[in-house]
Amino acid sequence: MHEVSLAESIAAALLQMQEEHRWKSVVEVRLRIGALRQVFPDILSFAFNTVTRSTALEGARLVVEDVPLSFRCRDCGTSWQEETVLCPSCGSIHRETVAGMELDIESVEVEE
Amino acid sequence: MSKIVTLQQSIMAEDEKFAASIREANRKRGLLMVNIIGSPGCGKTTLLERTAKESGLSFAVIEGDLATNRDAERLDVLGIPVVQVNTHGGCHLEANVVEKAMETLPLDSLDILFVENVGNLVCPAEFDLGEDFKAAVLSAPEGADKPLKYPYLFSSSKIVLLTKTDLLPYLPFDMKMFTDDVKSLNPEAPVLYLNGLTGEGFGGWTDFLKDRIKEKKADAR
Repeated sequence: MHEVSLAESIAAALLQMQEEHRWKSVVEVRLRIGALRQVFPDILSFAFNTVTRSTALEGARLVVEDVPLSFRCRDCGTSWQEETVLCPSCGSIHRETVAGMELDIESVEVEE
Repeated sequence: MSKIVTLQQSIMAEDEKFAASIREANRKRGLLMVNIIGSPGCGKTTLLERTAKESGLSFAVIEGDLATNRDAERLDVLGIPVVQVNTHGGCHLEANVVEKAMETLPLDSLDILFVENVGNLVCPAEFDLGEDFKAAVLSAPEGADKPLKYPYLFSSSKIVLLTKTDLLPYLPFDMKMFTDDVKSLNPEAPVLYLNGLTGEGFGGWTDFLKDRIKEKKADAR
C-alpha cells in the first residue's frame, strides 16, 4: 500500500518539474531507496505506471537502486553494515543510521 | 534529444516544505508536536484520553481517520480541542492537511499538539508532518514480531509504547524478543509499558513528555 503513496509523491514532484523545465517527456526515473523503507520495486513500478496513466509521465520507466543499511558510532566514528546494536569497535550504544533510510529521486532521463 | 538531469531530491520534497514550515512555526511558539503512529485498534485514542487524565498538560489533537468523527467525539467530551481530518481512503496524513487543521486550534495556549495518525504501521511513518518526534504504539495482542516486520516506524520513532499490558498474562507475547528487536532497530529509544484502562505505566510517559516540553520551551526563548 505505501508504494502507492510513494508513486503519487514521485509523480507529483516530476510533473511539477516537467512543467517548469518544459521537458517533452520523461524516459527514465532513477531512485535510491534504503533497505529500511521496505519498498518492493515491482509494486512501486506498477503503482507508478497506474498513477501516471494519461499524464505527461506516461511510459516513464522506474529504476530502483537499493541502498543497504549502514551505521556509524557517534563515540568512536567506526562505520559498519551488519545489524548490531553496539559498536563493534568500542561497544558504545550511540549508533546513528547513516544509510538505509533513503527515499530519493536520484536523476531523470528526459526528452527535451 | 534525451539528457540525464541529476536531482538528488527527496521523494517527499513537496511534503517536506509544508513540514518545515510547521516545524519553524512551532519552534517559534515553543509548542511540542508529537505524531502518534500505530495500527487500527492499538489504543491510540485511549492513550490520549488517559494522557489527559494523568498528565494535567494542556494539549490539542488532530485526528486522522479514513471516516467518522468517533475519535474526535471521545476527546471532545474531555474538553480537549480536537480537529477531525477524514482522509476518505488515504492511509496517512500529509503535512499540508495538518497545517490547515492547525489553523483552527488554540496553539499559543498549548503544551503539546498531538497528531493521531491514521491507523497503519507503514505509510504514516514515511510522511514528515513537521513533528518533533514520532511515538510508535504497539498493543500486546498484535504480537511481539511487529517491530522487525515494520522496521522503519520502529527505527524512526523517538519512543516505543506497548499498550494493553493487562492482557500480557493471556497472550503468547515474547517480551524478550520484542525488547531485543526494538533495541536492535533503535538502541536509544525508551520502551514504555502502558495500560490505558488503569493508567499503569503512564507516569513514565507523562514524565517523558514533560521533559520534551521543557526542552522545547527553552529552545523557543
